[in-house]
Amino acid sequence: MLRFILRRLLVTIPTILVVITITWGLIKLAPGNFYSGEKRLPPAIEKAIRDKYGLDRPWYEQYGKMLWSIVRHGDFGTSLKYEGQSVNGIIRRSLPVSAAVGILAYLLALIVGITAGSIAALKQNSRWDYGSMTLAMLGISLPNFVLGPILVLIFSLSLYWLPPSRWGGFPSRNLILPVITLSAIYMAYIARLARAGMLEVLRSDYIRTARAKGLSEKDVVIKHALRGGLMPVISYTGPALAFLLTGTVVVERIFALPGLGNYFIQASLNRDEPLLIGIVAFIAITLLLMNLLVDIAYAYLDPRVRY
Amino acid sequence: MSKQKQIGMLLLLASFALVAISCSVASNKEPFFGKTVPPERNIFRYVTGDEPESLDPAISNGQPEARIYMALYDGLVEYHPKTMEPEPALAERWKPNNDSSEFKFYLRRNGRWSNGDPITANDFVYSFRRALTKETASRNAYLAYYIKYAQPFNEQKVFVRDPQTGQFLNAKDFDETTPAEPLAGSPLDSTANAEYSEPDVHLEGRPESEFHKQMHTPLRLTLPGDAKGRTKALDANPKLKAAVAGKEFVPIKAEDIGVEAIDDYTLRISLVQPGPFFVGLLAHQVFRIVPRKVVEKYGSAWTQPQHIVTCGPFKVKTWQPYDKLVVERDPMYWDAATVKLDEIHFYPMSDNPTIMNLYKVGEVDAVLNHTVPNAWLEVVRVKQDYMDGSEAAINYVLINTTQPPMNDVRVRKAFNYSIDKEAWAKWRKIVKPLTAFTPSGIFKDYPQPQGDQFNPEEGRRLLGEAGFPVIKKPDGSYSCPKFPVDQVEYIYNTQESNKAMAEWMQAQWKQNLGITVNLRNMEWRTFLNVRAKLEYKGFSRGAWGADYMDPFTFLSLFYTGGENGTGWVDPKYVAMLDEANRMLDPKKRYELLAKAEKFLIDAQPMIPIDTAATNWVKKPYVKGMYPNAGSLFPWKYVYIERDPAKWDYGVPDMTAD
Repeated sequence: MLRFILRRLLVTIPTILVVITITWGLIKLAPGNFYSGEKRLPPAIEKAIRDKYGLDRPWYEQYGKMLWSIVRHGDFGTSLKYEGQSVNGIIRRSLPVSAAVGILAYLLALIVGITAGSIAALKQNSRWDYGSMTLAMLGISLPNFVLGPILVLIFSLSLYWLPPSRWGGFPSRNLILPVITLSAIYMAYIARLARAGMLEVLRSDYIRTARAKGLSEKDVVIKHALRGGLMPVISYTGPALAFLLTGTVVVERIFALPGLGNYFIQASLNRDEPLLIGIVAFIAITLLLMNLLVDIAYAYLDPRVRY
Repeated sequence: MSKQKQIGMLLLLASFALVAISCSVASNKEPFFGKTVPPERNIFRYVTGDEPESLDPAISNGQPEARIYMALYDGLVEYHPKTMEPEPALAERWKPNNDSSEFKFYLRRNGRWSNGDPITANDFVYSFRRALTKETASRNAYLAYYIKYAQPFNEQKVFVRDPQTGQFLNAKDFDETTPAEPLAGSPLDSTANAEYSEPDVHLEGRPESEFHKQMHTPLRLTLPGDAKGRTKALDANPKLKAAVAGKEFVPIKAEDIGVEAIDDYTLRISLVQPGPFFVGLLAHQVFRIVPRKVVEKYGSAWTQPQHIVTCGPFKVKTWQPYDKLVVERDPMYWDAATVKLDEIHFYPMSDNPTIMNLYKVGEVDAVLNHTVPNAWLEVVRVKQDYMDGSEAAINYVLINTTQPPMNDVRVRKAFNYSIDKEAWAKWRKIVKPLTAFTPSGIFKDYPQPQGDQFNPEEGRRLLGEAGFPVIKKPDGSYSCPKFPVDQVEYIYNTQESNKAMAEWMQAQWKQNLGITVNLRNMEWRTFLNVRAKLEYKGFSRGAWGADYMDPFTFLSLFYTGGENGTGWVDPKYVAMLDEANRMLDPKKRYELLAKAEKFLIDAQPMIPIDTAATNWVKKPYVKGMYPNAGSLFPWKYVYIERDPAKWDYGVPDMTAD
């Protein structure tokens, strides 16, 4: 097991380097500059800006310098667009925002999704089953850029109950709408996965044995069925958590949250090279770690899986 | 899914729709858009646009930043809240010389930084030099190029000196196009006919400085600082090359720029040309001052909240990037008694519907210009908190004049003739049709020329003359089979209103010329790149807002070659503008500028479309804030009015008092 983890961690390093290199190459290829505007700057001023950030140095020099700074110091440099702000500082500052919304949405999705999915499986073809699966279908097919504004329209603009956007700190009422918007689709997926998993497990032999032993239905479901029934949910929620933690572009934008997702989209629109590379690398690292955690959790939950 | 379930779903969706409709209907009857409850404290909450690039006024050229800088930094002058004319700020008064090529500014003695240090003329000298230093990489440095030697210093050029005599070579000996020199010929102190003609008592008996005398010597020759560029410049001019042989090159220093602190409270600025409009420029962010000690101590980190020192009506309290910037009243500010707000909260946001939602529920008190989305205009325009004012901004269509068929002025004119701008303005609701290149009705007393009116008949005739006959088909529509439609397109950056404009132009040309121009949208920075490098064929969306309140801010877009996105450049036009700017009489200057503008619109490197209008909202209890032409607000006048009887019902009175 330990060997497996170490091997996986080792593979992570070249993967991150490849991700960084591709991102760097893509942004170099993208047309336009972070300083361009409606009126073109006089050539001398353009040159001053390019010299200030070393943009006219040979590409291998720029690439090497960036990579060295990342490998040697874990330093992603300074944002081009936001004068004097370090990329590491921006990530440190915006991660808690994304993580707060993401973890809350994750918990909400897990609790509601597993409960709804399990109930649907246990009471298959009942009103409960149809009801929760209809909602789940709606959750999957309603994109968050539609759901978010609808929620805002109802709860903020019509009823004046909740603030329509902005970060209000943690915890605050500002979190309610973004968390619901963000969790809806995950909730729906989890409900469907949990239902399918549970249905399969409930029909398996060991559940029949458990029932035959005379265990109470509660014990059968919680001690035996859930453990096996949730396997598909686990493999889905690992990477999902990574995405939730590192921010979601659409929700952060609709609700104007100062999270990683918002910076990510702005960095690419602004051609802010160091910031974009920093965020992409960070997301890649989180994603790889979460996948590793999923594998470990798998081994723990299912005795048949061994590495 | 069973039938019942489907009906259930439909009902659910229908209820969503009902809620949506009911709330928009309800809001239609209200006089204002959303809640009108003033905030409890004297705090003004404002959405200023994108996240500020920096709190350093020398860095950014954006308007969102400009409004933040206006809260934090003061300059020699400040914009008038209604007219945007310069009014005294740190300079109590000023005096131009006889031909407006040199200005003396008399600073007030109670100007202080937020840390209590006094503000002196040296702070201006330092800040101007810093903004022009190459390492600062200020995007706005070009606005200061009117100052003598500012441009060559910013471009890191060199003077040429004779090592034997110590004499510098002069520009006019090598280039006939060098403008006539205002300072060289005029006496050192020629401020007799100025508005403030009392003698400078405090300066009497003081000898003229060496620096000032030097400013009045003929303009020195400058050459590129790098050897490669210099060789190129010398090779192009044999006379110059011969004269330069054996001479030494002296890098231009910050101390050479025409800014001088005569004493602690008197500042003199010497220009390279007459600049009757120069004082109006000085309210711009690039001319606002920064604290030398702090900048030198902390480098680029000086703007961090724990270090920053400012000099405006407000100072930084807290700054959470991408969330909010809170500024509070600065008791050190020289005019602190006028400042009425305790705090301003700037929210950096860029998604228009999100901003408008926040406004509607009353969580912000005003929003930036052009925030009301097109689809909302119908509802919001009729409200009494909608700020509809003239804007010093235009929308136009650029033409790539370097490629056929658009290199033919007749073709360009044909496309201009066939756009019904009146109809466009009526459809767009908030703009005014435009035939010239400066915004209509903004510059008082400016005799703006008229361009060609809508005349599709003439358009078709010109197109035929250029070799592309337009044929009238039996059904009454037109076609132009010979026109190479694959050689033109219309590019714009992806945005709802740009798309609407592109489709309108496309329809007009189709209807009136029988030519279908393809539309191509692209992401903003890609678009800028394609346009700047002339990698488009035919047409491109263009827009420009004034940097300062003078027609020249528009006309200068075509002043330098290659940078205007059309490829059109004409030395005659440049000469006309130069001549106009040399005029001392403002009226004569305006006449000549108008003549140049006429020349420009006749050459038709672009198609003017409309004069923009401001398009934002503010709560009725926000007073002292006006929809001025530049959407820039001197914050010290803004306050929260709690008595509904004194609120603004509609656009506040814009006549200057």
